[in-house]
Amino acid sequence: MLEPISISMQSLNLPSLLPMAIILLGALAIVCIDLATKSLTKSFYTMLGILFIILDLGAVMGYQGDVRGFFDVVLVDGIANISQIIILVTSIFFLPLALSQQRFQEFAMAEFYALFLFMIAGFQFMVTSDNLILIFIGLETASLALYTMIAMHNRKKAFEAAIKYFTMGALAAGFYTLSALIFYALTGSIEIHTIEAALNTNESVSVLGIVAATILMLAALGFKLSMVPFHTWTPDVYEGSSAALAGYMSVVPKIAAFVVAMRLFEMLMLLNIPWIEGMIYALVVITMTLGNITALVQEDVKRMLAYSSIAHAGFVMAAIIIGSTEANAGLFLYWTLFMFTNLGAFTMLWMTRHKKNLWDERYQHPFTKFAGLVKVSPIMAITMAVFMFALAGLPPLSVFWGKLYLLSAAVNSGYIYLAVIMALNSAIAVYYYMKLVVFMFLKEQVSDDGEIYLSNATPILIAILTMAVIITAGSAIVVDPLLEFFLTKVSMSGF
Amino acid sequence: MNHILTLIVFFPIVAGIFAFLVHPKSVRVFGISVATIEFILSIILWLGFDANTSGIQFVEYIPLISQFGMSYYLGVDGISLFLVILSTFMTMVALIAVSIKTDIKNLVIAVLFLETTMVGVFLSLDIILFYLFWEASLVPMLYIIGAWGSERRIYAAIKFFLYTFAGSVLMLVGILYMGYLFYEATGMWSFAITDWYQMALPFGTQLWLFGAFFLAFAIKVPMFPFHTWLPYAHGQAPTIGSVILAAVLLKMGTYGFVRFSLPLFPDASIYFMIPIAIIAVIMVIYAAMVAYAQEDMKQVIAYSSISHMGIIILGTFAMNAEGITGSIFLMISHGIVSGALFMLVGVIYDRRHTKMMSQFGGLASVMPTFATIYGIMLMASVGLPLTIGFVGEFLSLMGFYRIDWVITLFAGTGIILGALYMLTLYKRSFFGEVTNEENRSLKDLNGKELSALIPLVILVVLLGVYPKPILGPIDLSVKKMIQTMDNKVVTKEAKDLIYKANSIGGGE
Repeated sequence: MLEPISISMQSLNLPSLLPMAIILLGALAIVCIDLATKSLTKSFYTMLGILFIILDLGAVMGYQGDVRGFFDVVLVDGIANISQIIILVTSIFFLPLALSQQRFQEFAMAEFYALFLFMIAGFQFMVTSDNLILIFIGLETASLALYTMIAMHNRKKAFEAAIKYFTMGALAAGFYTLSALIFYALTGSIEIHTIEAALNTNESVSVLGIVAATILMLAALGFKLSMVPFHTWTPDVYEGSSAALAGYMSVVPKIAAFVVAMRLFEMLMLLNIPWIEGMIYALVVITMTLGNITALVQEDVKRMLAYSSIAHAGFVMAAIIIGSTEANAGLFLYWTLFMFTNLGAFTMLWMTRHKKNLWDERYQHPFTKFAGLVKVSPIMAITMAVFMFALAGLPPLSVFWGKLYLLSAAVNSGYIYLAVIMALNSAIAVYYYMKLVVFMFLKEQVSDDGEIYLSNATPILIAILTMAVIITAGSAIVVDPLLEFFLTKVSMSGF
Repeated sequence: MNHILTLIVFFPIVAGIFAFLVHPKSVRVFGISVATIEFILSIILWLGFDANTSGIQFVEYIPLISQFGMSYYLGVDGISLFLVILSTFMTMVALIAVSIKTDIKNLVIAVLFLETTMVGVFLSLDIILFYLFWEASLVPMLYIIGAWGSERRIYAAIKFFLYTFAGSVLMLVGILYMGYLFYEATGMWSFAITDWYQMALPFGTQLWLFGAFFLAFAIKVPMFPFHTWLPYAHGQAPTIGSVILAAVLLKMGTYGFVRFSLPLFPDASIYFMIPIAIIAVIMVIYAAMVAYAQEDMKQVIAYSSISHMGIIILGTFAMNAEGITGSIFLMISHGIVSGALFMLVGVIYDRRHTKMMSQFGGLASVMPTFATIYGIMLMASVGLPLTIGFVGEFLSLMGFYRIDWVITLFAGTGIILGALYMLTLYKRSFFGEVTNEENRSLKDLNGKELSALIPLVILVVLLGVYPKPILGPIDLSVKKMIQTMDNKVVTKEAKDLIYKANSIGGGE
C-alpha cells in the first residue's frame, strides 16, 4: 500500500497556471456557447476571444509569485514573461483579421476560435516550462490546433498545406521525443536545469549521446522554426493558408520555439562539446543565406514572404549562438518589431484577397498583381513600401533596429564574421523586398480600379493596418523602452 | 536659432507630407516655394554661423536610445555648412528647372523627401543617425530614376540601389565594431562622432575599420572600379535626378572620407594614401578617356564627374589644409557646375529628345544664350582660372604636390584631357553649320530655364573670382580636423607624414 502523498496547495503555486487556465476556460466557453446556439456571428466570437486573450495578458503581467510552480514543471521567468506577452499581443492583433469583408468558411465556425485559444494555451505552456515533456505537450497542442485551422480554410491548397504541415510536424515530434529520450537516458532527467546540472557534474556522460540528442532536437525545433533544411513545408503552407493565419504562423510558433531553443541550446553550448556550436552556426548561416537566395526567385509575394521569414528566423537564431544577454534581448526586440511589420504586410495581402485568382492561374498574390499600385492607390502603395523596406532593414524603420542591435551584440561578443555574414545577407534581402516596391512604383498599372485591392477590406482591417504602419515607421521612439524592458527581464532570468 | 538645424533637416519632409494634399496643378510651385524657404533657412544658418570659430556650432543633442548610446545629435561646422547650402540650393534650382509633366506630384514629394535625407547626412554628428539618413536617401532616388527615367530606368535604379546598399551594410558592421571599441575603452556607449574623435585606435584595428568605411564611401563617390553604376544611373535618370545625383549625392561619399575616415583612422588613411591616390589618378585619366569616346552628351558629363571626383579624392588624401580645403571647395564647385551641365543637357533633350552629339551641330547660331551659358559651364568644368572650377582643382593638386609630385603630374593631365573632351563636345554640338534641319527651329532658353541657370552662372563667376567667404570657414574647420588627426596618430610614419604634408613649402 502506497503512502498517501500530501502536498500543500501553497507549494503548488497554482497562480502560475492562471494565464493558461483563463485561456483554456475561454476556449471551452466558446465550445459550450456554440453547443447552445448556432445563431451567433463571427464578430461575437472574435471579440469574445480577444477579451479572453486580454484577461490572459492581464494575468501574465500581473503575476508576482514564485518563478517555479506546479511540481516545478512550470517556470515563469523573465523570458517566459516576455514571450507570453509577445504571443498574446500578436494574437490580439491577428484575431480581428477574421472580420474581413468576404465570407470565409472557417471564420463562420465557432470551432475556429476555440482552436485559436487552445493554440495560444499550447504556446504558453511551451514557453513557461523547462520540462521537456510539458514543452512537448504544449508544442503538440498548439500544432494540432494550427493544422486544423489551416485545413478549415477549405481550399484544395489549404488541405495540401495542412497535410504537409501535419506530416512534417509529426516527423518533428518523433525527433523531439527521441531527443528527450536520449537526454533522459544520459542524465535521468527531463528538466533542462537538472539535465544541465547532471551534464556538468558527471564527466562520464557520452559525448556522442549529447551530440545525437542535440542533432535530433535541432531537427525538431528546426521544423518549427523553418530552419534550412527543415524548411520545405513553409512556402507551401503559407501559400495554402489564409494570409491572416500565415502572418500569425510567421511570428508566434517561432517565438515559442526560440524560447525553447534558447533554454536548451544555450545550455548545451556552454558545455563546450565540439560540434554543437559548429552545427548551430552552420545551420544559422545556411538558413539565412539559402532563405534569402530562394526568396530572390519567387513570383508570388506570399511565397517570397515565406522564404524571407525563413531568412529572418535564421538571422535571429544567431542570437542563440552569441548567447549574451544583449543578444537574447536583441532576439526579442527583433521579433517584436518584426511582428508589427509582418502583421502589416500580411494584413495588406489579406485586404487584397479576392475569391478568384484574377492575376495568375497559379498564384493568389503574384508580383504583377501590384504593378503600378502607386497610380491606382498611392496610400496603399506607400504603406506596403514601408513594410517592405522595414523588412529589408532600411533605417529608420522597425526591423532595422532589431538588426542593428543583433549585429552589435554579435560584434560585441567577438563574432565579427557572423556579423559580416548577417550584414551581407541583409544586402541580399533588400533585392527581393525592393522587387515588390519596383513593381508598385515603377511599372505600369494593370487595372485602373482601385477597389479591386480593397475587396476584402473592412474598417477594422484598415485600423490594424494603420496601427502597424505607425509603429513600423515610428519605431525609433519605442525601441528604447522596449529594450530596457527586455534587457531587465532577460538578465533577471539569467540568459 | 536654437533649433535651426532640426528645422532645416525636417522642414522639407514635413512640407513633402503636406504636398500630398496639394492639387497636382500647383504642386510644382509648391515644391519650388518649399525649396526656396529651405534655401533661405540655410542662408540664415550661414549668416548666424560664426566664421571665426573652427568648432561645431548650433549643436542639438537629445539621447534617443540610451541603452545603446544612440542620440539625435546635429551640428554644423565649416566643412558641412556649404554642403548643406549646396544641397538646398541645387534642390531649389533643379525644381525650378523641372519640365516633367507626368505624376509631377509624386516627383515633387520624392525630391522633398530626398532633400531631408541629404541635409540630414551632412548635419548628423551621431554616426547611426548619419547611417540612417545615408540609407534613407536611396529610396527617393530609386523612385526618381525608376519612375521618370528613360527606357532602361528600372535596371539603372535597381543597380544604383543595390550597389550603394551593399557597400553600406559593411560600414554598419564597422560602425558597430567601432562603437564597441569605444565602449571597451570608456565604459559607455556612444556613437557621437565628437566622442570618437577623442579615441586613438591601434594600427591593425584602424586598417580593418578603414576598409569597412572605405567600401561604402568608395561606392558612393564612385571610385574606380566601383563606378559602373554611375553612368547607368545618369544615362537613365531624368534631368532632376541627374542634377541632384551629381551635385549632392556623390558628395556624400567624399564628405564621408573627410568627416569619418580621415579623423577616425588617421594612420590607416595615411597607410593607404598612395594606393588611393593611384586609384584617384586612374579615375581621373581613365574616366576622361572614356568621356572622350562617348557619343551621348550626358554620358560625357557623367564620366567627367567621375574624373573630377578623382581629383577631390586626391585632395582629400593630401592630408594637409590646402588639399582638403581644396577638395571640399571642389565638391561645392563640381556640384554647381555638373548640376548646371546636366540641366543644360536636359534643356536640349526636352527640345530634341536626343542627347547624341551627332544630331547637333551649329547650335550656337540657333540658340546663342544657351550656347553662351553652356560655354561658361564648360570652362568652369575644365577648370579655367577665374571660374569656380579652378580654385578647387588648383588647391587639391597643390595639396597633393607636397606628398608626391609624380602622381600630381598625372592627375594634372586630367585637366588637359578634360579640356580635350569638353571642347570636342562643344565643337561638335555648337560650332559649324547647322547640319540637321530639325535644329533650325529650336527655341532659345525660356524664362523658366533662365531663372534656374542664371544664378548658377553668377555663382560660377563670383566664387571663381572671390572664393574667400567660402574658403575661410572651411579652412578653419579643416585645420582643426588635421589637428585632431595629429593628436591621435599612433605610428611614427604617419606623424612624420602629417608634419611633412603641412610644413614643407607651406612655410608655416
